[in-house]
Amino acid sequence: MTARTKARGEPILSARGIVNRFGKQLVHDKLSLDIMRGEIIGIAGGSGSGKSVLLKTLLGLHQPNAGEVLLNGEPVQSISATEKAALFGVLFQQGALFSSLTVAQNIMLPMREHTALPDEEQEEIAAMKLALSGLPAESGIKFPSALSGGMVKRAAFARALALDPEILFLDEPTSDLDPIAAGGIDDLIRKLNDSLGITVVVVTHDLTTLFTVCGRIAVLVDRKVTVDTADKLMRSDNPWIHEFFHGPRAEGAMKARKASHGN
Amino acid sequence: MTSVPADNESAAATPAKSTIALTGDGDQLALTGDLDIGTLIEAKALLKKWSKPGAGRALDLSGVGDMDTPGAMFLCGLNKHGVELTGIHADHRALLDLLNGLDLEPLPPVPSVPRWREIVIQIGKAAHDARHEAADLITFVGRTASWTVDALLHPSCLRPAAISRHVSETGIKALPIVGLMAVMIAIVIGYQGVAQLRPYGGEDFTINLVAVSVMREMGVLITAIMVAGRSGSSFAAEIGVMQTRDEVDALKVMGIEPMLVLVVPRVIALVITLPLLTFFADLMGLVGGAAIAQFQLGMSPTQYVLRMPQVLDGGDFFVGMFKAPIFAFFIAVIGCMHGLRVTGSAESVGRETTRAVVKSIFLVIVLDAFFSILFEKLGI
Repeated sequence: MTARTKARGEPILSARGIVNRFGKQLVHDKLSLDIMRGEIIGIAGGSGSGKSVLLKTLLGLHQPNAGEVLLNGEPVQSISATEKAALFGVLFQQGALFSSLTVAQNIMLPMREHTALPDEEQEEIAAMKLALSGLPAESGIKFPSALSGGMVKRAAFARALALDPEILFLDEPTSDLDPIAAGGIDDLIRKLNDSLGITVVVVTHDLTTLFTVCGRIAVLVDRKVTVDTADKLMRSDNPWIHEFFHGPRAEGAMKARKASHGN
Repeated sequence: MTSVPADNESAAATPAKSTIALTGDGDQLALTGDLDIGTLIEAKALLKKWSKPGAGRALDLSGVGDMDTPGAMFLCGLNKHGVELTGIHADHRALLDLLNGLDLEPLPPVPSVPRWREIVIQIGKAAHDARHEAADLITFVGRTASWTVDALLHPSCLRPAAISRHVSETGIKALPIVGLMAVMIAIVIGYQGVAQLRPYGGEDFTINLVAVSVMREMGVLITAIMVAGRSGSSFAAEIGVMQTRDEVDALKVMGIEPMLVLVVPRVIALVITLPLLTFFADLMGLVGGAAIAQFQLGMSPTQYVLRMPQVLDGGDFFVGMFKAPIFAFFIAVIGCMHGLRVTGSAESVGRETTRAVVKSIFLVIVLDAFFSILFEKLGI
């Protein structure tokens, strides 16, 4: 019935002919993108290339000027709020944890709104999601302001996972994190994809995340999207893509990829 | 890339309520259906008798369709109580292994304090805070006064562009609302005056009541409260946002004194605009009085204007105008002080802005009461 029991490799979310325009500025020009069930896809692109707008369009938070987004073949705009909550989990860049609630209450909020579970079960599940995201149970009673940057991301991860979504959207999950914390987040993404079969869409600049975690990479260049595996994109003759994958920073990330694939 | 038309029979798009059932008897049971967050409670109720540890029991899962993490957690719990799980699908295996591998601990209880202690703690905190707030305010008033005098003595340190911008923001743009409020207040006082004085045949004195109270008290008070709400809050929010983005620290690093560029121009601008706004409010208050005279007392505007010299003297006007710059100074100082007290987060901008408005309105009213008594004693 859900991602876990369905075959991987068919599109779960498709964007068709998306056009986004702000004033005279054309951000996306008839962009199409298929996200396959069970994959980890990275969305990369320069600053201002419209990554965040694309993410909002995919989520149905932004109505494109033209084109449509289909979730399992249905227009994403027509899906009810409750269904959407069970289908989509989003990790926002700053975490977007509600500052007036504790971490556990943040995780329980979607359950409180969309299920009829008693408090005890909700707390038990919240504790499990915390453990799943790699946080100790004590952090559940803390307020978001008392957490470090890496812990905020993990807590936001736990909240995004609250209703076991089919698709997890991650907006810059490793930005503002030290390399160790960022590596932990990369591992977490892989683990969730492996064991829960969650489809993951990662918007990121982090080359290490793109190379070591993502199966395919969608690069936003010239208002269009180019989707392929990292290896094939490395051989692309588009100048921007070439520079992106062959700059000095990319070399370091490639070494990390070789190292992680080696063991 | 190729796009495949999505024409699968998605259950997610047309959700059917998931169901679960328990078959078999004794110690050999089988679950069929979906074990997810929607059926968790039902499943727990069905398997209640197995919630205690025991041996020799088995649960067949080959009939389970969908399973999510809460469902898997429940099964792991059963497994720890000695229930053998059989017939696990390959998909579910990974999930169960993941959950088994987690080190699950319950959420710790939220530390709570008895209510009576909470009250004592709150009183203590409030007293402690009040003392520090008062000390902070006095210190900041002193610092601002010192920097303002310094800037006035060295006019090259003044920033005319910033001052004129703030005069425009706090003064010119406030004219419509201040004028409207003054007319309204005059009408309110006028109506009350007519109603109260008519039984004694003294309704003509309503004009005195309106004119004197607008000139001495209401004009300046209404204007100061309006400006505290409008400009005091915007000072706190503007400086507060700069504080959250480290702009204030950037100024310090560049060797520019924040007091001089952020606080002094705002204080000077408000000390200029509030008396002018008060003057405008006084005039509009008299216009409101004229309206009352016309409609309630049948007195023409010409007669009203001719009565004014008998009703008012210079002292009434002076008393109102004297207070304006003092109120302005405190409103600006409190707004800037709370702006600079913002620390890091965005919510602290909101908190400090609220405090700035509450404190400046409070202080304006307290000072006004003080001045009322003072002028009464001095006989002005």
